[in-house]
Amino acid sequence: MAFPQQLRGKQAHVDGPTFLTYTPDGKKLITTGVDPFCRVFSHGSDEEPTNVDDCQENNTAVAAGNDFFITGSEDGTVSKYSLESNRFEEILVRSTLPVRDVALSPDGNWVAVASDELVVYVVNTKDMLQVKRLRDQNRSVKHVSFDRTGTRLAVSCTDGIVYIYDMELEEPEMIKKVESMIKILEPESGLSSKVLWHPDGRAFAAPTGLREMQVMSTNDWEQQRSFKTGHSADITAAAWSPNGALLATTSSDLCLSLWDVKTQKLLKKYDDIKATIQAIAWHPTENTLSYTQIDGRLYIHNDFVPPEHANILQKPIQPAPFFHDPSEGRSNAATTALANGTKYNLPERRQREDTVDSLDSLLGPEFQDDEQDEEMADFVVDDDGAGYAPAVNGHGKRTNGHLGPLESLSKRRSYTSAIFKPQLHEPFQPGATPWRGNRRLLCCSLIGYVSTISQEGDHHTVEVKFYDEYTHRNFHFTDIYLYDKAGLNDHGTLFSCQPKDGNPARIYYRPHETWTTRTDWRTDLPAGESVAAIALSESYVVVTTSTNYVRIFSLFGLPVRVYRQKSSPAVTCAAWRDYVLTVGNGPVGGDGTAQLLYTIENVKRDEVYQSEDIVALPPNTNLTSVFFSADGDPYIYDSDGVLLTLLHWRTNGQARWVPMLDTKCLSRRLGGGKEESYWPVCVARDANDKHVFHCMILKGSEKYPTNPPPMLSEFPLEVPLSSSIDKAREREREEDKETMSDDEDGSSRKAENQQQMLENQYVLLSTLHSQLSETLSHTRPTLDQKRDLVNKEVEIDKTLLQLLNFECAAVAEDRGMKALELVTLMKDTNGKMLEFALKVAERYRKEVLMEKIRDLQEKKLMGGEDDGDFV
Amino acid sequence: MALPLPPGLTPPEIAFLCEMELVTIIPRQRLEALELLGGPLKPLVPPQRASVPLWHALLLKRQRRANIVPPPWLSPEPLTAILDHETKYGDTFSPPPRLPPAPSSNTLPFAPPFLPSSTADAAADALPYHWLELGEMLLEAAADDFEDSDSVRKLLRGLREVRMAKLRQGVEVLDAAGGFEMTGVGGMELGEARAFITGVIDGLRKIAASREQQKRDRDREERENGYSGTADYDDDEMEMQ
Repeated sequence: MAFPQQLRGKQAHVDGPTFLTYTPDGKKLITTGVDPFCRVFSHGSDEEPTNVDDCQENNTAVAAGNDFFITGSEDGTVSKYSLESNRFEEILVRSTLPVRDVALSPDGNWVAVASDELVVYVVNTKDMLQVKRLRDQNRSVKHVSFDRTGTRLAVSCTDGIVYIYDMELEEPEMIKKVESMIKILEPESGLSSKVLWHPDGRAFAAPTGLREMQVMSTNDWEQQRSFKTGHSADITAAAWSPNGALLATTSSDLCLSLWDVKTQKLLKKYDDIKATIQAIAWHPTENTLSYTQIDGRLYIHNDFVPPEHANILQKPIQPAPFFHDPSEGRSNAATTALANGTKYNLPERRQREDTVDSLDSLLGPEFQDDEQDEEMADFVVDDDGAGYAPAVNGHGKRTNGHLGPLESLSKRRSYTSAIFKPQLHEPFQPGATPWRGNRRLLCCSLIGYVSTISQEGDHHTVEVKFYDEYTHRNFHFTDIYLYDKAGLNDHGTLFSCQPKDGNPARIYYRPHETWTTRTDWRTDLPAGESVAAIALSESYVVVTTSTNYVRIFSLFGLPVRVYRQKSSPAVTCAAWRDYVLTVGNGPVGGDGTAQLLYTIENVKRDEVYQSEDIVALPPNTNLTSVFFSADGDPYIYDSDGVLLTLLHWRTNGQARWVPMLDTKCLSRRLGGGKEESYWPVCVARDANDKHVFHCMILKGSEKYPTNPPPMLSEFPLEVPLSSSIDKAREREREEDKETMSDDEDGSSRKAENQQQMLENQYVLLSTLHSQLSETLSHTRPTLDQKRDLVNKEVEIDKTLLQLLNFECAAVAEDRGMKALELVTLMKDTNGKMLEFALKVAERYRKEVLMEKIRDLQEKKLMGGEDDGDFV
Repeated sequence: MALPLPPGLTPPEIAFLCEMELVTIIPRQRLEALELLGGPLKPLVPPQRASVPLWHALLLKRQRRANIVPPPWLSPEPLTAILDHETKYGDTFSPPPRLPPAPSSNTLPFAPPFLPSSTADAAADALPYHWLELGEMLLEAAADDFEDSDSVRKLLRGLREVRMAKLRQGVEVLDAAGGFEMTGVGGMELGEARAFITGVIDGLRKIAASREQQKRDRDREERENGYSGTADYDDDEMEMQ
């Protein structure tokens, strides 16, 4: 057993800043300092180190691969040395100003060089002529740091900004500028602003001006938890442990602290440091931390993590300290989905402990396998990362790292897989987003939005904001139940929370304002039942639960109906007035994913309109949102960006999904290059009484809106008939034509374009018309609605008339058949439309067509409403 | 008794005209329909977008009753593209927005103030007639509704300088019978340039006029004296002496 030994420093270099690094395999430790040589220590041996001579003086940085290492010096040279021959090999970069930091990509192919020049050079270590230049920073650069995959490089600049570059491209591109995180430092100061990528790849940490280690997630660039280090001076060095479960920090106040990442608590503080520590390095596999001080001494601290915490170091890669881990999922439901490439450890399955009288404990440590294999461990050296010497875990077994994550990314599972596991659609709340930093959107509608902010001390603050600030008053309250779902409409707000600490799940309804005192109510669900989705309508509250019950309450908390959903598990629900739409996972299809089924019912009339009908989704597409439009028609939005409505949904067996808008074909995306997606909110009428799709525009590759959410955008509905690329080309050609000459061809194409627009309008109008007429036939229509229906009919006829105009204008006579078809399609409610059609035909002197139209008129007058006669 | 004003429109007058332009707002409060002299205004229902005249939008914005949606051309990317175009082609201005398809014969032809060139669904690739004054007014009153107001302001400034320089350059060719294409020049630019250009033309005309006058005088004299050839001119003068 290791005895607490006196920590003895080795005078590696003369007095002055000294730096160190381990090789990735952990066999060697390289130090560099003021002297014109580097030292290579073999790990685990007390032998004198090997000196590598003919170095530059005043070295400021060192990075190592398994068989070479690279140093940067104040005279501006970056040199490469071989670890096999321990000799100088070549100069990779010659900078005009002092080099401040070098970083090696994980594959060892690229080295990034930070110098007092404004440009960061990224040089290929094998071929120094391959150079990438990063030029976005305005001041000199202090630190550079590759993430664990080598695809991103963080550049800490002396202007206090961290620049993140995407290194995968041929020409690296800056993807993010992180301001107000690190301190503005002098280039030659000994303090650190280095970005430390967390081993799980989803976050990084950097020292702040407040002497904290601030963690930031890289998927949404939000500040996450921070380590309040309590150092009395600025941080000079810090390092994650190789598995990301521990963090070591040090500062010029001569303290070295060890932090638990999960709780951000101090585990141990060493305050017997003699001089300021300049650099820290964890050994890649063992419980050893080495550091070099400003006086040139090197300390190799074996058993750095105290024995009571040493098991933390044995764990697989631990998650970075997020406020709310994104892998928790959108609906807060427990998911099995893993972040890409993360090794997963089951929370309930801890490191296996020694049982009483187990073989290992009887034999003692000297008989353990790895001890015996000590000499043989070096037999196969995995020096090119090919994986033929697999890593060994704490039990002396090979890990399953080569198998990849548990869930395969492709939906198709291999046939050899013994266990068949269908892919179920996870429950979600329409309009809710996952946590983003400490904020999250619970619901967004045309009335306003509900958001929640998690506060210190295990409570949230719920905010309800209205778009119409004068009719409703914005409010917020402290929430100790941790509500995670919400619904909002004109009359009130509905919340629900999950069961927690023995408390059952709870529903909370809060009306906005009433003529009596406000009567908000809370209801608890039976124990063990959690909420899958909730919906609020003008007359009912709908809750679907984990036990597949659909619970319907009145607005005053009276349970109206409880029934079990046929398709399970429940996915989501929506409600509008008396109509309730529930969606659940149905039978599993051929590709292993469950088909989504929906049910629509009228609660008041107790009538089921559509029972377990299919939500039509193309393969590999998910449902993103379900909602009722302002007119009360069901709409869905899928992950492909297509908005669909349900036509004839009040007649059993007649319902079908009609695409109303394909956001990929929007005219604003014609130019291409614009990468954006849309967060659906609602479909309603705009000021001109046209139906528009209200959504939030999400820039770039964002998947969820920020909080506070962006302004709502409106897009007119457009049934996808022709692809946008076509249209773009058309328009380009048109422009060419316009600039050159206005010849016949150009004008005919323009006409064609316009005709397409009219056709589109016709399809859209007739869909909306049939939806409206259906609504009117099932409700007591108001005068406005009736007028609207007539208006729609007239609109359709007008569109047809315009199309007829195009048809007649066409030169070829043989298109009269289509013209006649257009005339027969007319609704002709007031009898005038056929007159107009006749006039159009007359204008173009289409005698035959006129004859036919007159025939049609006569037939109409006779009242011969023929429903397809067999002639 | 002439009004002590320069010819043409003053900048406040141009700005006043610009306030007729329609812009898109997102109201934050309900407002009933208004019957105004300039035409009816539709009722405002948040968060439905509405197109209202600029003066109304600014009024609502100042009272915090609405957010203005800046027109698409008033954002960094299109402005950068237009600025590139302006600097690339030294002698012409960037083209004005394309006109919509010509309306049928019985309606009045459209002109810029009645075209929705500054609403949220306007074209993003061209500067409308009132670009400068509209941009300035929106940046002054509703800077918080822009995504990146600083760079928009910078680009507008750059555009203005490039185009004014072109206008001034154009004056060089304005000598007798010279022409200068001004397609795409905005209202405020015209107003600004008018004083200068007309001044130059006036000056040139005066210079030319005095020369003309001399020539005409000489002609008259010649006619009165009955001489026709210039050959005898010297003799004539001698005689006078």
